Parts: sequence; structure tokens; C-alpha cells
Amino acid sequence: MDDTVSLPHEDRFFELRFESIGGLGAHAAGQILATAAVLRMGLNGAHFSSYGSEKKGSAIKSFIRLGPADKPIRTSAPVESPDVVVVFHRALLSHPATVAGFRANGTLIFTGPPGEIPEGLGRLPRTAKVIRIDAQRIAAEEKSRPNAVLIGTLAEAVPYFDADVLLQALTDEFARKRPEAVASNEAAFRRGTAEFEILSGVGRAEGDLPIIRPDPFWGYQTAPLGGIILNAGSTAWNDLSTSRSGWLPVLDVEKCIHCGMCDMVCPDLCLVWTAEGNKPVPDAVRLTGIDYRYCKGCLRCIETCPTGAMTREAETPGLAAELTQPLFPQLDG
Amino acid sequence: MRNMKTVVEEQLETGSKGKRPVRQGLVPQRAEFRNGNEAAALAARDIGFHLMGYFPITPSTEVAEALSEMQAEGTHDIAMVAGDGEHGAAGICYGAALGGGRVLNATSSQGLLYALEQLPVQAGTRVPMVLNVATRAVSGPLDIRCDHSDIYFVLNTGWIILLARDPQAVYDLNFAAVRIGEHKDVRLPVLVAYDGFFTSHQKRRLEVFDDADAVRDFLGEPESAVTALDPTRPVTFGPYMNDPDLINNKVQLTEAMEAARRVIPEVLAELATLTGRVYPVVDAYRMEDAEVAVVLLNSAAETAKEVADRLRAEGRRVGVVSLNALRPFPGQEIRDLFRNVRAVLVGDRGDSYGAGNGNLALEIRAALQQDAENHTLVLNRIYGLGGKDFYDADAEQFFAEVLETAAQGSVDTPFAYHGTYAGDPATKPLPGLPAITAEEVSRGMAKVTKDEQSGRLNVELEPLWAMTAVPCRVAPGHGGCPGCGIFPVLHQAYSVLEGDLVVLFQTGCAMVVTTGYPHTAHRITYIHNLFQNGAATMSGLVEMYLERMRRGELPGSPDITFMMVTGDGGMDIGMGPALGAANRNHRMIILEYDNQGYMNTGAQLSYATPMGHRTSTSEVGEARTGKAFHHKDTAQIFAACHLPYVFTASEGYPEDFMRKVAKAQWYAKREGLVYGKVLSFCPLNWRTTDDAAEDVLQAALDSCFFPIYEVEKGHTTLTYDPDAVGRRRPVADWLGLMGKTKHLLGPDNAERLEDIEKEVDRRWRRLKIMHGQEGL
Repeated sequence: MDDTVSLPHEDRFFELRFESIGGLGAHAAGQILATAAVLRMGLNGAHFSSYGSEKKGSAIKSFIRLGPADKPIRTSAPVESPDVVVVFHRALLSHPATVAGFRANGTLIFTGPPGEIPEGLGRLPRTAKVIRIDAQRIAAEEKSRPNAVLIGTLAEAVPYFDADVLLQALTDEFARKRPEAVASNEAAFRRGTAEFEILSGVGRAEGDLPIIRPDPFWGYQTAPLGGIILNAGSTAWNDLSTSRSGWLPVLDVEKCIHCGMCDMVCPDLCLVWTAEGNKPVPDAVRLTGIDYRYCKGCLRCIETCPTGAMTREAETPGLAAELTQPLFPQLDG
Repeated sequence: MRNMKTVVEEQLETGSKGKRPVRQGLVPQRAEFRNGNEAAALAARDIGFHLMGYFPITPSTEVAEALSEMQAEGTHDIAMVAGDGEHGAAGICYGAALGGGRVLNATSSQGLLYALEQLPVQAGTRVPMVLNVATRAVSGPLDIRCDHSDIYFVLNTGWIILLARDPQAVYDLNFAAVRIGEHKDVRLPVLVAYDGFFTSHQKRRLEVFDDADAVRDFLGEPESAVTALDPTRPVTFGPYMNDPDLINNKVQLTEAMEAARRVIPEVLAELATLTGRVYPVVDAYRMEDAEVAVVLLNSAAETAKEVADRLRAEGRRVGVVSLNALRPFPGQEIRDLFRNVRAVLVGDRGDSYGAGNGNLALEIRAALQQDAENHTLVLNRIYGLGGKDFYDADAEQFFAEVLETAAQGSVDTPFAYHGTYAGDPATKPLPGLPAITAEEVSRGMAKVTKDEQSGRLNVELEPLWAMTAVPCRVAPGHGGCPGCGIFPVLHQAYSVLEGDLVVLFQTGCAMVVTTGYPHTAHRITYIHNLFQNGAATMSGLVEMYLERMRRGELPGSPDITFMMVTGDGGMDIGMGPALGAANRNHRMIILEYDNQGYMNTGAQLSYATPMGHRTSTSEVGEARTGKAFHHKDTAQIFAACHLPYVFTASEGYPEDFMRKVAKAQWYAKREGLVYGKVLSFCPLNWRTTDDAAEDVLQAALDSCFFPIYEVEKGHTTLTYDPDAVGRRRPVADWLGLMGKTKHLLGPDNAERLEDIEKEVDRRWRRLKIMHGQEGL
């Protein structure tokens, strides 16, 4: 076992929370980090994630709780007052819950391109340390995953972590399961330790941020009996934009022959059609666009399109909002 | 070597001061960082059970997954038998245990309830085994997270129940469970319960044995006086036994439980000499001079200990009581402990509805009532149902209530729910989408006519573009994975199904991702029932519809089509009721999306998973090559029920599928039950990119792995024949496209690949013969 690491607080745990979307590797990153802390740094620790069903693309939180080796960890509750928050998908910064309970002197690491300061950062305490790293781009360039980059950034940003130990943990994890990924992960990790920027003056709040425990929509005096749901089709209110992982399909109406094939394979039911002529069978239909609120970016429409009218584009900030066509305009009212 | 008593006493003393010291036990151990499920799997490996019978259910599935991974690596040789459901798994375990070896199972929630009927059988016939339960709320509505409502159902089964508060306890108590259950004075099955997610999925530091000899010495050899595998000594297991005998059999069982009161502490003490870790039957934390106590089971008790430490530091005389054994119930220990305690608050993570107490409170009250000198005031709070977190603040409130009760000397509220939300009367539901009228979806997109000569149906489809005008009965905004094939399957089917439709979805991906409360993606009436029983439920609704129509009770006489939607997993566990419905020939459709595994719980093998495919319970490694047996031919099973219409289809051939759906509706409304199986893309667990559907689905058809055909009035017709159009390809062309099967193309698997090719070809040739023959 390596030399024991000393954590900054004797009276409480050092706690980290990863905010992510299923499929970006937050759970695996938490596991690698916590395993290294417990088995290689002489700490006591716990790690778990807030996912339930095994779905890709939905929100996930991963929690790490660290303490000295002789301090028992007894609580199983989620981390509510994190010392460190790592945001794997910058869109999550628009939700206040992402930084809920953040400590005044905590460290926030988020993934985003250089120069961009997402609006949600203003919610942070003035005294927070804010770090930006373009983990998505680096991961793509190194044929690795964002989590390898972010572990690297964490290793550098948190003084109690030893970069060599974490890199070794990352390497060991993959040496067993995917030896071909070891070199690319190391490259991603090393760039994570080096290519981050510390932003100053972004937070505007004072002191620790409040913990958020939102009430459920219904309570026992208001919920319909037996758990029934009377508002049919209400998932239409959901916004699944964060499920996309960097790419979206774009329709070129000029090339579209309105054949309907994409509609048959679109899992997200997000294509917008208008019918012309008499019902029940219309004279003609037109594909007018995509409601990106629902599109998870699987790109099956591109695969199936016979004319190349659908193309894959990198999702730059604001692109979806610019191109989107509402399927249900009444939701915006 | 330190003697046992010293270790035990020392640990009890240290434990009572709030520290669980890090120390070396008396045998070599090594540190791991593992969660509760992994701890159970590591214990299983180290115990070396002969056999595990199981069926995946969240959150316990990982036990079998971890064992499958270790098996593939060759680190254990436990026979792993995947049941067709938990009832089947319990039967597999019972049979195996009758054979005299050591047997393991793991389950949760509804799985435990589905197996429940077998539990008293096993206890009553005195056959030991070990069952790990990652506790979870029971349905309905379905909730995958933790409470104790599942294990409370086991209280009356005659099983010993041990409680494991953290991953370390899961590991340790599995060893104890083997010894306790096999003890000659006990001979009972043992359940080890730990909290779902809080313990099953939370990684902690874990000490595991690093000394196989010590483990062997501790466990000894399994000794059965009789087994079903000794033909020289014929035995009858399970006779027909009425009065006056059964009551005496139960006296024996009760005596076994009484013996367990003595054996459990003995075994735990012996284990403590090996590990240095002590598990008293009643875990009394800072109770020596406590005036009040909070009683909680498993992980929540640990949280309460943190709070007790803080209150002690403020001079409050508080303690926490938890149990390491729930059966036999340690009544005497509880009486002794609470003799001088003024008030206790018992937290139950599960209610005994209508009893006015949870089960734990009932048993504690019953225990105390036997002590005439006892005047402890008892409060009961139902908390943490369905996985609701138990924070420090919750424990603080419990202590505040019980301190106040002690101070005033009387109980104000003996029973209440804690941590509930009444709701805001001003809350208005989101309006949802407008109802879909029968007219909007009855547009003649598929025109069905009957060929009078053959007696079979013809379908004429409108072009695909025209179908975009049909509003979809499932709304966007669902939580399916990117690229999921289920929604194309539903959308294609809904495009041609006309009129009013009522659907029932069995448990599975489609159910979970469309109905996350308080939202639903369904724009038509939708029902969920657990996947062992959807077809029976749907058949009941169909018959009620027909009966109420006959009585003239349904205004406007709606013309409803009934369809059950299920995954291939649901056609394993739900096969019995589905065949029952088929044999009764109800007017309904069963539509199966086949993505070749239990994808909702993390890609475990289903019987529809093809041979050799990697799943999380058929891992690939040096010692194993994926699933060991060929895929189930569900369509042919239903064809043997002589239904009016059976079909297979692929979401990659929408027009073919939609023709079949139109026929399905025609038959389901006039003649009886229709079964259809549709190949449905699952990029996450097939390990492809999200946009690889077209190629992979096409290759599955071209390789004849997934023939698409129909059996209409007993007449088989292939609707796509790759031989005929010159597109036949070897199965390797299909298997090479998916991460879950790439290993099959390696040189080590040449024989396995050939076996798959042969079986696929054999089934294909059989179908081709039927295709050409009138009457087949």
C-alpha cells in the first residue's frame, strides 16, 4: 500500500459528486478513483451511483466519500454537500440541482470548449475554484473517453490525489478488460492533467450553496389513487437534448423526397410532418424538420435515408435551438 | 493465537464506543473495494457452492453477473443455472439441494415473492441452502429501490434470516449461513438480506479470506443424512401428509429454529476468531445506559449510529439497536436490552397494512409484552419505502421524537409514516396530449381482404410516406436509449392498427422507459403487469370486455383491439400464462420485441439469446464462451398451439411487419390469439453504434438466423427467403457486426461457430420444407 494520504478535514468526509449522462463513463470514473483511494492511498471510502434502470442517455450522479482509514463510513446517503463536483456534460450546468449543496471553497470541473462560460456557473459561490477542460474533444482526438480526461484533471486539481497513482489505477482497470485502450487512455489522462484552465470570477453566490431536495410532483393527498396517470402522452413535456453525445442529424429539405423511411426507424418519434390533401390517406406529406427536444442523436435516420437528405453534424451551442421545429407547439405556450 | 472470547469481547467493547477498528483477523485476509452484490459473489466463490440457480432481478442480479465473469475467467466452478423465472430458480435450487451439495440463489422483491411458494416447501422438508436477497420494494406500482417489504413476506416460511448491514457483513454472513443451515440440529435454509442499492451497489472496503485452507476448515464438508443421489438408500422426499402429522412436522421445524438460537451465536463466534469481526445477534450500539433507542434494520441503522454519536457527545443517553438475525427473532435479547430503556422508536421499512404497526414493531412489542416488569414506551414509524433515502436528519428526527416521548412519559402518536409528502393542492397536472380518436388512426393504411380460395388474408399497404399522417399512440419524450428498436416496432405496428386499442406491457425496457412516474408516453389506455403474468391479465380484460359488451354495459359499444407487448425475457418467465392464454385462444395479440436478452436489467441472457453470445450472465473468457445453449424458438412453440396466426418479423422490414400486424388485428378481432415476434435492435447491449440497425438486422435475416415468416391457419409461409434472392450469407457475417459476438469469429471458437451455423441451417431448412407444403 502506498503512503497514506491526509485529507483536509478531520471532522467530516471529503466528498465528490459526478454529474453526468448515462454512457459518458461517470460511474466507471468514480469507481476507478474510489478504488485507487481505498486500495492505493490508504484511505477509507465509499462509491455508488444514483442510477436505477440500465438506460443510456439519462441523468446519472456518481458519489465518492473519502475519509481516513480508521474512520468508519456508515451513512449510505447520497453526497449532498460536495467538496468537488465534476460535470461530464455541460448542458447539466443549466440545472440548479447540478451544483446543489456545493461548498463555498469547493472545486467544480466541467467539460466545455475553450472560451465558453456556461450561464449556470454564475450560481456557484464566489470562492469556488472553477476548472474548464474540453474533455469531449480531447477524448475524441485520443480515441478515449471523457472520463479518462476528467480523472486526469481531478488528479491535478485536487491536491490530495496523486496523479501517478490514479493513472496506474486507470491503466490497471483497462489492462484487464480492454488492453488495447490503455495507451489511448493514458494519453487522454495526461492531457487532462495539463490542458485545463482555471476560470476566475465566474461564481456570484456567497457561502455554501443550499441543498436541494425537490418535492415530488404529487403527494398522498393529491395523487390519483393507485398510481394511475391520467394525463396521456405527458412525456411530451420532457426535454431529452442532453441525451445527445455531440452529434445531431440535420435535414436538408432540398434533398428530401418525403418517402417516410426515416419515420419508420426513428426511435425518438421526433420528425415533424405535415400532411396535404384529403384524409384519411393524404395526397402528399412533407418532412419539415426535427424536434430536437426529443432527438437523442442516434442517427438512425441518416442510416436509412435513401437520398442523403439527413446528415450528421457536430452539435455546436445553439444549433439545435436554431433548427428545431416543434412537434407540439402547444407545449411552448 | 488469541482466543475467541477475547476477540469477541474486545470488539463488542470497541464497537460500543463508536469505532469499528481496522485490525488483522487471525487468518490472512486481503483488502478489496467491493459492493454488497460483489461481496456475495466473492463469498460464493470462496465457499465453492456446487450450484447456483437464479433469475435476474434488480438489484440482486449482479451476484450472478459477478459469478459469471469469474466463471469465464476460470476462478470458480460453481454450476450456474439460469432459471426461467424465480419460481423456476427456486425449484432448481431445491432439487439441487436435495442432491446433497451446497446451493446458492440471489433475488429481490417480486422475485422473492414469485419464489415464495417454494420457501416453506424447502424449510418444511428441511433442506439447507443459502439465498441472498438484495432487499427491494414489492410492486405495485413497480419500484426497483430498497425497502424491506420483500423480506417481511419470508417471516412465516421457516427460513433463518440473517441481516447484513454492509458489504463486509454480506461476505461474512454468507459463510455463517452455510454452517448454520447445515448444522445437524438446524437443517434449514438461510436467507442473507442486505439493502438493495444502499448496500448491494455501494462499494466499500472489504476484507476477504486469503487462506483457502482456513475457509475449508471452517465450513467442513456438507453433510446430509440422506440425499436424492444415493440409489443404495432409497428415500421418499415430500410425502402426502395431513393431520394428525403436519402439526408435528411443524413442531420439529420450531425446534430447529430454537436450536438455531444456540447455533447462530456459536457459528458467528467461531467465524469471529477467523476474521476478527463480530456479529452479535442483536447489535446494541451505545445502549449500556441508554434511556432511549432507535431500532432500525440494516443500512439505516448505520446512519443512526452517526447521529447517536453526536447526541452522546451532547450528553443525551441514546442508543441504536439493530439485528443481525431476524429469524429466529431474538426476543429474549430484546427484553434484556430494553429492561431499563424508557422509550424506543422502531423504524419499519415496510408496513403490515392494517396492522397498525410494521412487522418489526409488532415483534418487538410482542417480545416486550412478555416481560411484566417492562414499561418501555414504543413508537413505530414507517420510513424509507421504495428507496427513499435515510439521511442524518431523519435519524435526528427519530431521536427527537423518542426523547420527547421519554421525557413526557407517554406516547402521543404510536404509529405514523415518516418522510411523506401530502402534496400541494394547487398542483395541476401537465395537460398531456389530446386523446387520439379512433377515426384519426383508422385510415385504411392496410387493407385486409380474405382470399376465399385459400382461406388466408391478403394485405395491401399504403406507401410509407402516407403513414406519417397517422398520429402515433406513443408520445416522444420517453427514456429509451438512443437507437432503441422498441419504438420503431411500436410505431410501425401502431401505424396500421386501426380503431381503439388497449395495450398491456409486461415488465421490461418498453414499460420502464415509457411510464416513469408521474409521466406516461402512452396516449391510449395502457396497463402494466409483472412479466410472469401479463398474458393472463390481458386475457381477463378481453373476457370482461366481451362479457360487458354482451350485457350491453359499454356505452357506444367500443370496438377495442387488445395487444400485449413484451420483451423476449417476458416470454421466458411469462411463458406459462402466455401458453395458457394461447390455449384458451382469447381474442388478443401478443407482440414480442426480441432484443435477445434481459436488457432492462443490464443484458443478462434470456432463452432467446443465441448460443455463444456474450451477456452479463454468459460472459466470455478463457474458461467460457458466452451462452451455452441455443436460442429458444418461441414462434414454433406458439405455432404448436394451433393459433389462427403466428408471425415473425424484423423492424428492419417495416412493410413486411406491418402487413403481418394488419393480419394480426383481423384475426385477433375475429378468431383468437395471435403471437408475433419482432427482431428489435439494441445497440447498447449488442455493442454496436447507435446507427448500425439496418446492417445488423439485415444480416440476421440474410444469415437465416432470424427467418421471417408467418403461420396462418396452420399454413407456413416464408416472407423473405435470402436463398431465393441470392443474399444468403454465413452467420459469421452477422456475428462479426456486433461487439457481443465478435469473439465467435476467433480461431478458438471455430467449432462453436460451426455449431451455430449448423443449428441455424437446420431450423431454416425445416422451415423451408414447411413453406413448400400445404398443411404445414
